[in-house]
Amino acid sequence: MNDNIWILAIANSVTLATTLMFGSLGALFTERAGVLNLGVEGVLLSSAISSFLAADASGSVWVGLAVGAIVGALLTCIHAGLAVILRANQIVSGLALVIFGTGLANFLGKPAEGKDVVTKLKPITFGPLTDIPILGPVLFKHDIITYLAIALAIGASWYLFRSRPGLELRATGDDPATVDAQGLSVANIRIRYTVFGGLLMGLGGSWLMLAQSAAWHQSATTNGIGWIALALVVFAGWRPMRLIFGAVLFGFTLQLPFTLQAEQIDAISADYTKMLPYVATLVALVALSRPSRVNALGAPRALGTPFVRDER
Amino acid sequence: MRAPFRLVFEQRSETPKYLAAVVPIASVVAALFIGVIFLFATGYSPWETYSNMFQDGFASSTGITDTLGMSTVLICTAVAAAFAFQMNLYNIGGEGQLYMGMLASTWAGLALGPHLPTFVMIPVVMIIGALAGALWILIPAYVRSRLGTSEIVTTLLLTYVAANFINHYIYTSGSYFRAPNTMFPQGRLVADSARLDPFGTTNLYPTFFFVVLLALFLYWLVKKTEYGYKIQVISDSPRAAKYAGINANRTTLSVMLISGALAGLGGAMLIVGPVGRLDPGITALGYGYAGIVIAALARNNFSAIIVSGILFAGLRTGGEKLQISTDTPIHIGVMLQGAILLFALGGEAFRRYRIKTIRTKVVAQ
Repeated sequence: MNDNIWILAIANSVTLATTLMFGSLGALFTERAGVLNLGVEGVLLSSAISSFLAADASGSVWVGLAVGAIVGALLTCIHAGLAVILRANQIVSGLALVIFGTGLANFLGKPAEGKDVVTKLKPITFGPLTDIPILGPVLFKHDIITYLAIALAIGASWYLFRSRPGLELRATGDDPATVDAQGLSVANIRIRYTVFGGLLMGLGGSWLMLAQSAAWHQSATTNGIGWIALALVVFAGWRPMRLIFGAVLFGFTLQLPFTLQAEQIDAISADYTKMLPYVATLVALVALSRPSRVNALGAPRALGTPFVRDER
Repeated sequence: MRAPFRLVFEQRSETPKYLAAVVPIASVVAALFIGVIFLFATGYSPWETYSNMFQDGFASSTGITDTLGMSTVLICTAVAAAFAFQMNLYNIGGEGQLYMGMLASTWAGLALGPHLPTFVMIPVVMIIGALAGALWILIPAYVRSRLGTSEIVTTLLLTYVAANFINHYIYTSGSYFRAPNTMFPQGRLVADSARLDPFGTTNLYPTFFFVVLLALFLYWLVKKTEYGYKIQVISDSPRAAKYAGINANRTTLSVMLISGALAGLGGAMLIVGPVGRLDPGITALGYGYAGIVIAALARNNFSAIIVSGILFAGLRTGGEKLQISTDTPIHIGVMLQGAILLFALGGEAFRRYRIKTIRTKVVAQ
C-alpha cells in the first residue's frame, strides 16, 4: 500500500465533493421550499458546456463560472414557471429538464468537441500550510470554489435554522398554508429559491468543467453526478451540515476507481469499480428508508405538491 | 411593487374535447419554434433543417419505413414508462432495463440460438429479455413497495450500473459477447435462428406489429380488467383502495415489475430486429429516456402512445439522417424532445384550469 496514494485519494474526495455540494445544496434549497427539481443532471450539463464556451471565448475562468451559473438559473426558471405558476407535475417537469438540458448541452457542445479546457481554475496555495503532511493536501490545496462550497453549506445551515427568512423558507416547504395566512406569497418564495437553487447547480456544473475536466465529453462529463446529488439531499436529511459529510463520502466512491488503478489493484475490473458510486448511493437510500415514516427523514412535508389556496 | 395583473386559475369541471388534440400539437409547434431560435443563433438554416428532417423522417418511402422501424422500440419503452406512470410510480430507469434486456437476449441468441429453431428462439429471446428487465427493476420495486424508497432515483442509478455492464462485456478482451478478431471492439452476432427478417430491403421488422398489438392489449388490460381497475383506484385514492381491501404493496410490486419487463422486451426487440448483437452505440441512443417523453406526451394512454411514438421516431430518423447529410448536430432532435415535453406540461394547465388575468387596481398616491 502506498500511503501517498491514499492521502491523495482523500484529498480528491474533498475536491470531487464540490460539484456534489453545489448540486445538492441547490436541490436542498429548492426542496426546502417544497419544490422537487429532478432536473439537476440537465442543469449541470448545460451550465458545464456554457461555462466552457464562455471561458474559451473570453479567456477568463470567472466569466465562464458566471455564465454557467446564469445558465443554470435560467434553465430552472422553466421548471419554476411550470411547477409553481402552472402547477404542472414536478416529476415530469424535472425529467423534461434533464432531457432538454442534455440535448441543449450536446447541441451547444458541438464546437467544443476535441478542444481541451485551457482556461482552468487553479488551486490556491497556502504557503507553509499546504506543505503540512496529510492535512496539507487534504485541506489546503483546493481552489476557491471548493472552499466557497463548504462556506455556503455552513452558511446555509445558519440561514435555514437561525434566520427569519430561513424560517419562512422551511415553513413554505412544510406548511405553505400557514405561510400564506401570514400574508407572504408562497409562489414568490418558491420561485425565488428554485431559481437560486439552479444558480448553485449551475456553479457546480461550471466548476466541474473548468476545474475538473480535461475536455468536453458530452453526457459523460457529468455521468450521473446530478442524480447522486439528489440522493445526497435525502441522505443528509435535508440538512446542509450533514451534506458536507455526505458529499465527501460520495466523492470518495467517485474517485475510488482511479485510486485502485493507481494502486494496481486489478482483481476487480475497472468497469465494476465504476459502478460503486451508484451502488453506494442506492444502498444508502435503501438503508435510510423506513416503512410509512416518510417524514422521519426530515423531508419537507409539502415537497412536490403545488400550493392551491382555497379560492372562493 | 405589484404586478399590474394577477392570474386566476379556475378549475375546469370538464375538459373540452378539442383541447386533448390541440395541446400536444401546439407543444410540438412551440418546440419547433424554440428549435428555430437555436438553429438560427448557431448559424444553421432552420427551414432547410426542418424540411430535411420531415423529408427523411416521414415523406420518403425509406423514411417512413425507417420511422416505423425506429418506433418499434420507442413504443415499447413508452408503454413501459406509462404502465408505471399511470399508478404514479416513476420508473425512469427504462434505459437500464433495456440494456439488461438486450444483454440477456444476446446471451440467449448466442448460447441457445445454434440449438433451437427460429419459431422457438424468437419467443425465448423475447421472454428472456423481458425477464432480465424485470430482474433489473426488482430491487427498486421491492424497496418501493416495502420501505417506500423513492423509485425515481433508485431506478435511474441502476441505469448507470447497467451501462457499465454493457461496456464491460463489449470492451473486455475475450468477452463472450465480443466478436473475435475485429480491430474495433464490437459484439458478436447472434445465431440466425434468433433473428427475424425485415420486410424486403427496409428496416421495418414484424416486431412493429407485435408492439402495436401489445400497446392495444395493455390499453384493454388497464381499461377493462379488474387488475386495471385496482391500478386506477390506487392511483386516484390510496385510502379508498385500502378500505376496499386492495393490496397496494403487491400491486405496486407487480406494476413496477411489468414496467421493467416491457423495457427489457424493448432491448430484446433490438436483438431479434435491427441490431442482432451487443452494440456499444446503444448507450448513446437513449431509447429509454425517449420513452418517458412519448408516454408523457400521450398522457399515459396506451393507444395514443402508438401515435406519439411514431411521431417521435420520425423526429429521430429525420435528425439522424440530418447528421449524415449536413453538419447539423443530431442533438437538436433530443433538445426538441425535451422542449416538446416542457410545452406539453405547460399546456396541461390549460386543460385543467381556465386561466384568467385580472387587472389589479393601482392605487394612486
